[in-house]
Amino acid sequence: MVKSPVRKPKKKVCAFCQEKIDYVDYKDTALLRKYISDRGKIRARRVTGNCTRHQRDVATAIKNAREMALLPYTSTAR
Amino acid sequence: MRHYEVMVILDPEAEERTVAPTLEQYLEIVRKAGGTVENVDIWGRRKLAYEINKKSEGIYAVFDVNCEADTVSELDRQLGLSESVLRTKVVRPVAR
Repeated sequence: MVKSPVRKPKKKVCAFCQEKIDYVDYKDTALLRKYISDRGKIRARRVTGNCTRHQRDVATAIKNAREMALLPYTSTAR
Repeated sequence: MRHYEVMVILDPEAEERTVAPTLEQYLEIVRKAGGTVENVDIWGRRKLAYEINKKSEGIYAVFDVNCEADTVSELDRQLGLSESVLRTKVVRPVAR
């Protein structure tokens, strides 16, 4: 019998909660770069493993950084 | 009185030496209105992630301001009027 593979994804813990960071700075592009794809899109929570609050903070920070041309809206690499 | 953080992108054609005096002129608005200005940080020339007004780089400057809401909006307005300012952003960093 073929058993359908049951995948148990490892539960990720929010990096910001672990580090006890409570303000995500939009100027910290090195940090924010980790949360965008190579196309410049914001990574989904299921990828980053962030909690609701920190995912929202990261998204806002990225949007602020984009307005100030610190991060791209799109990158045409590829 | 509230704490604000202001970021401006200045025209890259301006000399980097002239940046501080130009900013000072605007910061005077805050001081006159009874506010204080802290840690003026000029990042210098930096490549923009995308072009703004056909320019591919800009001179970044960040400073902290303690003043009333009206004062900071006036400062933002004045900066926006200037030809040499590409973009501005005022944020209120919470919990810090």
